[in-house]
Amino acid sequence: MSQVNRIEGGLIDRSKTLSFTFNGKAMQGHPGDTLASALLANGQTLVGRSFKYHRPRGIFTSGSEEPNALVQLRTGAHQEPNTRATVAELFDGLNATSQNHRGSLEFDMMAMTDFVSPFLSAGFYYKTFMWPKAFWEKFYEPVIRSSAGLGRLSMQEDPDIYDKGFLHCDLLVIGAGPAGLSAALAAGRSGARVILADEDFAPGGRLNAETLEVDGMAGADWATQAIDELSAMDNVRVMTRSTVYGAYDHGIYGVLERCTDHLASSNGKPRQILWRVYSKRAVLAAGATERPIAFGNNDRPGVMLAGAVRDYANRYGVTPGQQVAVFTNNDDGWRTAADLAAKGVQVSAIIDSRDAPAVCDVPGARHVRNAAVVDTVGRKGLKSVTLTDGQVIPVDCLAVSGGWNPNVHLTCHQRGRPTWDDDLSAFVPGGELPVGMAVAGAANGAMTLGAALQSGRDVANAQVKDLGFTASRKAAPKAEDEPRECAAFWHVKESKKRAWLDQQNDVTVKDVKLSHTEGYRSVELLKRYTTLGMATDQGKTANIPALAIMAECTGKTIPETGTTIFRPPYTPVPLGALGGRARGKDFRPYRLTPSHKWAEENGASFVTVGNWMRAEWYTRPGEKGWRDSVDREAKNTRESVGICDVTTLGKIDVKGKDAGEFLNKVYSNTFSTLAVGKVRYGLMLREDGICYDDGTTARMGENHYVMTTTTANAVLVFRRMEFARQCLWPDLDVHLISTTDGWAQFAVAGPNSRNLLRKVVDEEHDISNEAFPFMGCGEITVCGGMPARLFRISFSGELAFEIAVPARYGNSMMGVLNEAGKEFNVAPYGTEALGVMRIEKGHATANELNGQTTAHNIGLGKMVSQKKECIGNVLSQREELIRDDDIRLMGFHPVDRNEKLIAGSHFITKGEDAIMDNDQGWMTSVAFSPNLGHSVGLGFIKRGHERKGEIVRAVSPVHGKEIEVEIVSAHMIDPEGERLRA
Amino acid sequence: MPEYTLISAPPLAGYDKDFTGAALKAPGDLAIVAVALPLKGEAAAKKAIKAAYGKALPEPGKSVASKDGARLVRLGQDAAFVIFTHATPDAEAVVGGKLKDTVYVTDQTDVWTGLEISGPNARTALERICPLDLHPAAFAVDDAYRTVMEHLGVLIIRTGEDAYLLLSASSSANSFLHAVETSITNVS
Repeated sequence: MSQVNRIEGGLIDRSKTLSFTFNGKAMQGHPGDTLASALLANGQTLVGRSFKYHRPRGIFTSGSEEPNALVQLRTGAHQEPNTRATVAELFDGLNATSQNHRGSLEFDMMAMTDFVSPFLSAGFYYKTFMWPKAFWEKFYEPVIRSSAGLGRLSMQEDPDIYDKGFLHCDLLVIGAGPAGLSAALAAGRSGARVILADEDFAPGGRLNAETLEVDGMAGADWATQAIDELSAMDNVRVMTRSTVYGAYDHGIYGVLERCTDHLASSNGKPRQILWRVYSKRAVLAAGATERPIAFGNNDRPGVMLAGAVRDYANRYGVTPGQQVAVFTNNDDGWRTAADLAAKGVQVSAIIDSRDAPAVCDVPGARHVRNAAVVDTVGRKGLKSVTLTDGQVIPVDCLAVSGGWNPNVHLTCHQRGRPTWDDDLSAFVPGGELPVGMAVAGAANGAMTLGAALQSGRDVANAQVKDLGFTASRKAAPKAEDEPRECAAFWHVKESKKRAWLDQQNDVTVKDVKLSHTEGYRSVELLKRYTTLGMATDQGKTANIPALAIMAECTGKTIPETGTTIFRPPYTPVPLGALGGRARGKDFRPYRLTPSHKWAEENGASFVTVGNWMRAEWYTRPGEKGWRDSVDREAKNTRESVGICDVTTLGKIDVKGKDAGEFLNKVYSNTFSTLAVGKVRYGLMLREDGICYDDGTTARMGENHYVMTTTTANAVLVFRRMEFARQCLWPDLDVHLISTTDGWAQFAVAGPNSRNLLRKVVDEEHDISNEAFPFMGCGEITVCGGMPARLFRISFSGELAFEIAVPARYGNSMMGVLNEAGKEFNVAPYGTEALGVMRIEKGHATANELNGQTTAHNIGLGKMVSQKKECIGNVLSQREELIRDDDIRLMGFHPVDRNEKLIAGSHFITKGEDAIMDNDQGWMTSVAFSPNLGHSVGLGFIKRGHERKGEIVRAVSPVHGKEIEVEIVSAHMIDPEGERLRA
Repeated sequence: MPEYTLISAPPLAGYDKDFTGAALKAPGDLAIVAVALPLKGEAAAKKAIKAAYGKALPEPGKSVASKDGARLVRLGQDAAFVIFTHATPDAEAVVGGKLKDTVYVTDQTDVWTGLEISGPNARTALERICPLDLHPAAFAVDDAYRTVMEHLGVLIIRTGEDAYLLLSASSSANSFLHAVETSITNVS
């Protein structure tokens, strides 16, 4: 197909030809074309099918407000549906297809829905498909969903990459039309740091679409010159293909930059970047959007907005039709007619709803005054229009102008409400604007070119002066103030046929009236009942005419009727861009333990614990499943010695003369009396007296403690302690610093742990039971002078130590410990065996300290000192929290030793019904104990401490199972603690 | 002679790569010692720091390089880092020895991993992950701020016209390197 509609002029590069396909048909265009302009140039009027009725649709606009021309771009995994052809920049090799039809675009089988449209009015699905009830989910909804809808996903992973970023400026100028360029020039000249962002690939806005002059030169040339000047300024950043999609708090704006959408391939670079722009001030110069007039069959391919027709002619050198009529209620429509005629396009008629003289001379065109279009003919392409007086005018393009709406969207993103301007018959920015924002140009109602240029300069100067810059004295660029009179005219009442308001959602004038009749009086309800203003265009061309119809129905004015809220994003933002780099393994950062490499080399399987990757077990040859590994590791540790990397536990060095007193306040028990060289278990409470975190704290020196926290709470505890230090007790000399990552720490546990450590700890340090007893600590050296910290603490319940070396030596240390321990049959153990042993020993972790339990519940009530001030000790003594008949942490054994206990089971007294009224508590943790030879559990049960030996039922309705269990001490291994003191 | 010897293996040891317009390097033997100024002992501490390093402790958010190459970074009213080149695991003792009992010192060497990013594209690359304004007018040479990049806490110090030292947690060093590398490759 040749470019039958290409006419002279335009800003395209005719020296180069770009080949592309639409539905497999080969077509050609030029650099500077959009897909829409190229389709029109090639005479492709029909480009898609409508959402609901599958009506043939063409290109309606030339910008991001496009409701109809949604296409699928590219193929395979790169396929992207619902792309507006009007903003898709043409490139060589582009493959575009139409969407939302069964069969071909020309012969869509789903078009039958159009013939049954009387049954498919707004909200039809709420009224029909009511029975049989079961059919809705299984039949009706799937059928409706497959019939309606737009493009299709490739169902493959998006092969492109996306990025995010942060930018900062004194002034963000949103939009590079005449007002935006004028604003950016003024601000740039003042020395302020300026970002100028525009969604188009060619800055200039309306200057590229029109023939008006600026400073004595063609508007488009002036725009190019302005961009050149701005680009040469170090303090100005010009961002094209960049849509400011949202105005957020504190002058922060979201910007989507489309980096490679105009290229055949991204070449490994980010396709799009989601920028967060921090601005001190902003100038919104987003321009205005033309609105249509509703009349019968106004959705046919060939019916377009007049400004768009002008844009295609002037910017792209394309006429959307060979015989054009203009239907307008304002002076601006006349400029379209004049521009087309000047380009040699035949303009048949100018149909003006006003009874007013011609605005300008348009050669060859009839002026039909005080008239309107009531109907059109031409299913797949416009053939003629019928006027109110019955006359039929043969045309293949109708350019419609119902006036212009300022693009106020971003002024409303923080719930600012626009105000009605009778003169413009449009909403203009009003109410409270986002902090730091001012509005210039057409977006603020300055609709003429001269006014927009002046407004941009003045608003920008005021903004930069407010920031302390000296505003440039240079005058605003000069341009004429073109005629812009407009007389509100929303829809043609004489039309009998369906008149579309929202073409993307197939919402007609009749639907709005029906909605009103059925009681949906609020504009917000109208929107949701009819789907008006939803989807990719967000009703940019539909909202105001629909409001006008609704106002007519209610007898109110448009401002009394109100608007729906504009929310971000202004135009669609792909999920890929919102996700940015956070995909797959890059979804979040990973923390590796110091011995990670050694663990990888020695059969470890890893589990994520927060961001940490921890070894969960180490598989050895011949082991058939994880239980084989875990049982071996737990048994081996209790029988000889095991090693576990416990670096992930939080470590906080607490220093200062008042460190002990400070710890007294953050822990429920006392630490100021702890002797140097000793460790104590500590329990932290929340302010409300519930358990918060626990761990051990070692006193390494007079003014130096080393605290450990649970892995999960390491950061939270540190933050809470900093708050306490800085805000609650600022008079204490205490200093905190995290050393979690600084020390590689290993638990060396089991009866041979001391023997193993004697081989690596330097001889001068005596680690005998007498010299280094249980709960001892000290700074030592290992392997010939390497500084280390040694703690005699035990989570497993065995004779155990934790030894720490600087993290950079951690991987090596793991190797050394395993090498040195060979004679003791040492084995590394992972988090699973760690869990097994702590359950056997009755040590609480997150399952037990779950944010609901108290020190009293876990049997540590005496640790909450009432002799001192500490966080949570007052509220911990509330009557309900210290009841003697409350739940207590206990151990549980299955009566039938072959039964496998289930975590989460609820305890029910034998003989009682398994209902919540009879709930006695729940099982918090379970494991198979290789040392006891059966399943064991920990759990909370009412008065547990008085019920040892009692048999209760552990009921799990989720699993449909109950098991009889015996209540035992939580300390199921070595209850007297003889092993750990050995 | 001890039976066993420990080998040092910092997570990014030896990393040194050139990209278009930027170089990225993990500085070797970077020692970091935290210095806490005791309550009501600030004056004595500052005096000792000046005497030991020949430079006054800078204001929070600033750093200064001493004559012997150590960089004093003020992190808060009572907190600072001394960053210097030192291979053996006794950096705390070195700084403690210089400042005697006027401050509390804590070795932070292995807590952090360092990356030096430099070159004309360095700032452009950092735009992709650093929420801070790194424009020269907002972030002067020797400025030092704490921030978050790709969910990771970072201390960023501008060490030259187009050179920055980034410090982040050593346990997530690989993720951090990946984040910075990706930023550079995305802009180069």
